[in-house]
Amino acid sequence: MALAQTPVDDAAPAPLPRRAGASRPGLQRLWSLVRKEFIEIRRDRRTLALIVGVPLLLLVIFGYAANFEVQHITTELVGHDSMPVRQALSANGRFAVRSQVAPDTASAESDIQHGRVAVAIVLDAQGLPSQVLIDGSNLLIATTAERELTALQHGTSTAPPVHVVVLYNPTLSSTDFMIPGLIGIIMTQVALVLTALGVVRERERGTIEQLMITPVTKLELMVGKTIPYLIIALFDLTFVLLVSSLLFGVHVRGDVALLFGEAFLFLTATLGMGLTISTLARTQLQATQMSVFVQLPQMLLSGLIFPLAAMPWGVRWISYLLPLTYFAAVARGVMLKGVGISDLWTETIALGVLAVAYVGFAALRFKKTLD
Amino acid sequence: MIEILAEGVVKAFGRTRVLDGVDVAVPGGELWGVVGADGAGKTTLLRCIAGLLQVDAGRVLPGRPGQSRLGFSQQGFHLYPDLTVDENIAFIGRLYGLDRATLQSSAEELLAFAGLRDRRASLAGELSGGMQQKLTLVCSLLHRPPILLLDEPTTGVDPLSRLEFWDLVEHLHVRGSTVLFASAYFDEVERCDRVVYLDHGQVAAAGTPDELRGAHATLEEAFLELTS
Repeated sequence: MALAQTPVDDAAPAPLPRRAGASRPGLQRLWSLVRKEFIEIRRDRRTLALIVGVPLLLLVIFGYAANFEVQHITTELVGHDSMPVRQALSANGRFAVRSQVAPDTASAESDIQHGRVAVAIVLDAQGLPSQVLIDGSNLLIATTAERELTALQHGTSTAPPVHVVVLYNPTLSSTDFMIPGLIGIIMTQVALVLTALGVVRERERGTIEQLMITPVTKLELMVGKTIPYLIIALFDLTFVLLVSSLLFGVHVRGDVALLFGEAFLFLTATLGMGLTISTLARTQLQATQMSVFVQLPQMLLSGLIFPLAAMPWGVRWISYLLPLTYFAAVARGVMLKGVGISDLWTETIALGVLAVAYVGFAALRFKKTLD
Repeated sequence: MIEILAEGVVKAFGRTRVLDGVDVAVPGGELWGVVGADGAGKTTLLRCIAGLLQVDAGRVLPGRPGQSRLGFSQQGFHLYPDLTVDENIAFIGRLYGLDRATLQSSAEELLAFAGLRDRRASLAGELSGGMQQKLTLVCSLLHRPPILLLDEPTTGVDPLSRLEFWDLVEHLHVRGSTVLFASAYFDEVERCDRVVYLDHGQVAAAGTPDELRGAHATLEEAFLELTS
């Protein structure tokens, strides 16, 4: 098909008219980048699955399965039987006592070794406990059994009972403990992985070369690639808060706006990490591997599962470089304790500093050339 | 006035010198061709001129990406497979700041040339290789740049489309655009005002097609003798 003929004498092509309302062409380009990103996300089922499926999956896993409250600790009595001991264990609710009694400690040790029971209580001729054997290979079961048996022993002593009040999580529910941190993990997943993949995909497909030719600036490119994931991560935050409230009864006691404000700082820092990964990785596979490399320490060293106080200084300094360390503390504070900004200054400043540092580092590395 | 320039350009990747003192100066309104075997350095030269690669030595013009007066149709498909033809065009057009009416008329004209009018709603990833190549070209011409760099834009394009493509290039040339065209096909550069032979990152010869052809029947024969 022939091109519409234009008179030869119309000389060199004049620049085309720009958009009428484009007094701020940077904003127009930025909006175009964001819009394009959303169209691509909408048409990419894998990315959609990451945005909706992963938060839901993590929520179910952590909410239901990752439970620190150990139940049904298989237990046996050794040497003698005792109805009062059986009744006390049964009333406690955490122990499942076998009907048969092991003849001696050697037999009980064998039962523990082969996983038939986790706890063996040796009774003397009067039916009183003289020794307790606990399977230490499972830390959670062992600590729960030890704690519960000690409590039972105190309960039967003559000393006056001490009234213990647990604040903010009176039932010591694992779900209440995990969900605020889980929100951080979900947002890390979205902000870190999707941002890194989004930029690397442009490089892998060669589309970044097309963008480099256009007047789009490095800053516009960076911001345009991150805004969609910031919006998606904030959407996921809302989604997870709603689901955890409806499904697990974990509500935000404090200021929701404060939580979103802190989440914004946390996300900015995490997006900076994602952008940095995108400047290092050449392929989507490399970006995924690097993301895992960054995510794993966040989960293990942020105080989400293991307390910071228990970590040696040789490792703990890494925790202080991770945005999740501060956001996990903020989320627990706002959601469980209902604290305000006056109690969260340290974390807020730390998140702000990390946001500036990680985004700044990514900006330094982000180039608008192919070198 | 020189619109496209490479002056003593040196570019190395690691220890490999891909461009070794290349000189090309295209005056305004002329159509020049760069021809050479695979690996001669054609793509690297055009990328340096566009500013996508930084030169190790020498000087280039325009040499800075992001200029509205530069259009660069790169080798291969560099658009978004998950976006439709129209969405790709709208996206690139907006990055150049085109208003809706201008974008529409420019796209209409170029899509008609490219034979893509009926495929406007198709995903770019579902187009044939030749159609994708044409779409890449369409997007690089949307803002009517007076300076055009074309890197093997007819690779993988059927013969009829190649002819249509040349119609467009000549049309742009007649309208006064300055064009530097890289190709591995000797018959294509016959149409250029001047041709530069690139061999192992160096200019082996430069001149009008007649000058370079000399006593040989074709440019290809002349090139083979020159480089053998």
